Amino acid sequence: MTTSAILQAINGTSLAALLFLVASGFTVTFGLMRVVNMAYGAYYLLGGYVGLSIMRATGSFALAVVGGGAAVVVAGYLIDRFLIHYTGENHLAQVLLTVGIAFVIGDLALKIWGGDSLKVPVPMALRGAMELPGGLVYPAFRFVLIFFGAAVAGALWLLYTRTQIGAVVRAGVDDREQVAATGIDVDRLFVMVSAVASFLAGMAGVVGGAFLTLYPGAEWEILIVALVVVIVGGLGSLGGAMIGALVVGLLDAYGRWLLPEFSYFVLFGPMAVLLLFRPQGIAGREA
Amino acid sequence: MTTLRSFRSLRRAALLLVLAVLAAAAGVQAQGEPIKIGFLIPLTGPLATPGQDMRDGFALFWEQAGQTAGGRKVQIVTADTTCNPDQALTQARRVVHQEKVHFMVGPLCGHEGPAVAQVSKETGVPLLMDTAGADTVTKWDRTPTVVRTAVSASQIGHPWGDYMYKELGLRNVTFIGQDYTWGHEVTLGAVKTFTELGGKVAKIIWNPIGTKDYGPTIAGIPADTDGVSAVVVGVDRVRLFEAWFNFGMDKKKKIFGGYWMHQDVLPQMDERAIGMIGNSLHYAAGLETPENKAFVDAFARKYKRLPSWFAESAYTTGLWSKAAIDTLGGKVEDRAAFLRAVRTTKINAPRGPLRLDEYDNPVQNVYISKIQKIKHPALGEVLTNVPFKTYPAVSQFWTWKPEEFLKRGPYKR
Amino acid sequence: MTRGRLAAGAALAAAALLLPSVAGPFWMGLVTQMLVFGLLALSVDLLLGHAGLFSICHGSFFAVAAYTVAILQVRYGVSTLPAAAAGLAAGTLLGLVFGLAVRTRGVYFILITIAFGYVVWGVAHRWSSFTGGDNGVTNVPFPALGGLRVESHTEYYYLTLAVVALVALGYRVVIRSPFGLALRGIRGSETRMRTLGFDSNRHLYAAFVLSAALASLAGVMYVYYNRFVNPVAASFPVSVEAALMAIVGGSGTIIGPFLGSVIILGLRNWVSSFFELYAAVMGIVFIVAVLWVPEGLVGLAARARRRSQA
Repeated sequence: MTTSAILQAINGTSLAALLFLVASGFTVTFGLMRVVNMAYGAYYLLGGYVGLSIMRATGSFALAVVGGGAAVVVAGYLIDRFLIHYTGENHLAQVLLTVGIAFVIGDLALKIWGGDSLKVPVPMALRGAMELPGGLVYPAFRFVLIFFGAAVAGALWLLYTRTQIGAVVRAGVDDREQVAATGIDVDRLFVMVSAVASFLAGMAGVVGGAFLTLYPGAEWEILIVALVVVIVGGLGSLGGAMIGALVVGLLDAYGRWLLPEFSYFVLFGPMAVLLLFRPQGIAGREA
Repeated sequence: MTTLRSFRSLRRAALLLVLAVLAAAAGVQAQGEPIKIGFLIPLTGPLATPGQDMRDGFALFWEQAGQTAGGRKVQIVTADTTCNPDQALTQARRVVHQEKVHFMVGPLCGHEGPAVAQVSKETGVPLLMDTAGADTVTKWDRTPTVVRTAVSASQIGHPWGDYMYKELGLRNVTFIGQDYTWGHEVTLGAVKTFTELGGKVAKIIWNPIGTKDYGPTIAGIPADTDGVSAVVVGVDRVRLFEAWFNFGMDKKKKIFGGYWMHQDVLPQMDERAIGMIGNSLHYAAGLETPENKAFVDAFARKYKRLPSWFAESAYTTGLWSKAAIDTLGGKVEDRAAFLRAVRTTKINAPRGPLRLDEYDNPVQNVYISKIQKIKHPALGEVLTNVPFKTYPAVSQFWTWKPEEFLKRGPYKR
Repeated sequence: MTRGRLAAGAALAAAALLLPSVAGPFWMGLVTQMLVFGLLALSVDLLLGHAGLFSICHGSFFAVAAYTVAILQVRYGVSTLPAAAAGLAAGTLLGLVFGLAVRTRGVYFILITIAFGYVVWGVAHRWSSFTGGDNGVTNVPFPALGGLRVESHTEYYYLTLAVVALVALGYRVVIRSPFGLALRGIRGSETRMRTLGFDSNRHLYAAFVLSAALASLAGVMYVYYNRFVNPVAASFPVSVEAALMAIVGGSGTIIGPFLGSVIILGLRNWVSSFFELYAAVMGIVFIVAVLWVPEGLVGLAARARRRSQA
């Protein structure tokens, strides 16, 4: 029983690593730019598919990860500049617009890569199982994913809290007008942050595509769970995204192990309740 | 006098002749119009690939048949249901009301079945239900105008339970099942026969379609189980396969496919599958009968891949409908006669001999097959299902009496 | 009412009444669908166009009402009047619960309604012993009230038309009432309304419940038309599309949501018959609507009229 419990904890944590990659971009984008971008799931999918194609063509997983991220950075920039830009702070418009964009991306992906569920091939070194202390056997790739996620989280955190750029971003999340008033080019800041967020989402697609597979509909599945992470953790908070990802990842793993028929409830129920009494989430600002 | 009378009778004869010719022409005109078949399959969406298989199998048959049946041309009207009952309903109504099809074939997804059957009931247009396998359609919730040409879910589950007990010698099985009607009925059908023989269920683990992560499932397999039965569909077939090996389970336990490794998903698996039991199913591409070899060959040459059961099912439905239409001389407009013909025609399909039981479901062989690598003349080396045990002429009621089975009610979670 | 508008209205009414005699069952079915989903869009617009709240969970009320009617009629043999009433009640009751969401605003409100919507969809999907899961509930009979029973799609079409006309009248009364004015005031500036002494939360809650009731009515009409319901009715796309219909047609008006329904459903039907990527087309409609036609078709027409008058 306890081996199962530990296994589920590792499962939950590896899922959390993936969720963090998708959710962190979404939450900082909202915190800084007040943009609700429901196309993040589609970014994940797009990045994943592009990474898959790169992997098929070159056999290099690293290249695939970077390429997938880069592709989304470009797409994300164009979408930001020519579409989302015109919605200002109208959240309603943003939701509708980005849902529409997600539909388009999803359908195009279906046309290009087909309706089969495709797996991004994992590099040989990371295939198969690895033996953990205590005799537990666990997929090597997913275990490594935890460290990868932690590394990214750590790097982001350092960037956010210890660098000047990070300080500016934090200030911008707090009070955008003030930051602009000090003469900092807020627009360029937005583009940068958005690019990082897009890169993370695209990267997540490649990495996620290696163990969850890519298929039509994946973009909505991952988005919904990422939304829960963001809500639970608090919109705009990077630390919140980390905590939220862990909470949701573990809830998901344990929920599906112990109460499989109520798995949606286990995920959304607490979130809904939390929203009613503390809408800003665990670490967000006042709503 | 005689000339006038004979002239009159000549005129009358001419009139009669003209009328007769007109009548014949009218008859021929009605007969001359093509037979329209409404083909309801998912062309887009997550089940687009099996849908494509169905499309290809159906097209192959009609191409071989010269696009004719009963002396008339056949026109296929394809409609995209996206594996969504709502869409299936709308499309079914569209092909009936707007396209005026003579009968419908499809749909693919189990849950679309009852929805399309409803349209058949509303409009009286016959439906040859192909692939959709919800048990209820040919048991508790029957429609007189609906006939099934593929398989009823539990029909393949029952022999599987029998096989696991008798041939694999399993006594304490963990069942992994997909959490929707098809998954329930296949899994619980196997559970029923397995437990009736004396087997014990270690655990049943249900996973919704599209479960992202099979980690928790694998972790939940009891330590004392002596075998795992897998009933999974779509994307989950690949994920379970990967998870099984990634968690090192291949060294610890044995897993067998009750409904798992079909032809359409084999390209995404690899050599690790060789030797594993892929399915308990009414079709396997590796079946070595003359009908199947001809079919597989033709399919492989045309489409550069081996056919899955979706493809064979559509092909056979084409074969079945043509056989029925031929006996009617093409008069498909007589719906009652058409249905009667379908119900009484026996055919030799690629999958084996087929006939319908009194509940409008096929009685057919069920094959337990293993994954093997074969060398195909047109395709080279490919993985495929090769049957090694046949359960002949399996009915949807297995060995029970229909009344007894019906009284029990459907298999529910 | 201007003469032009009166004439247009009369023409529309005439077209609506004459439709069954010129069009086949397929078109009639489609127009019935447009009316039903227009009703759903109208319910969303009560919150969106008047109270300024963007709810993406109205598919839940729609579906709950539809399921209630379907299960009662098919499985328990309950007759139309009590079944329909129960459907309305069930959806409205859910509205009372979900209405607690009005304690939040802005993007949090949007997200919480998304979550609520998914919970209902999840239940419809997974509680298969009760809801039938993906199979849904089939063969719902046509409505019958005592001796009167609907026998055909044509008759149902007229019934739907009558219901929609009545609802539109009632809706008009509500949005022109002091309550409606208060809602729009809150949408304009909540703080100002509060300082004037209005309990904005209570107003919004009432509006939410009312819109849930309207969505439930749409659900009841839907299940009698389709005679089938399954979890798709509660899905995210249904709720989002309802909002889109309101916007594309003209949010804040009565005819707008119906116009939007005609456009969206018509487009989907037309496009899907010859083009496989119709989801992308719908996505483009979203994008175009948001960026270039936010005031909807009604707004466009008004703009054009103003320009011609200027």
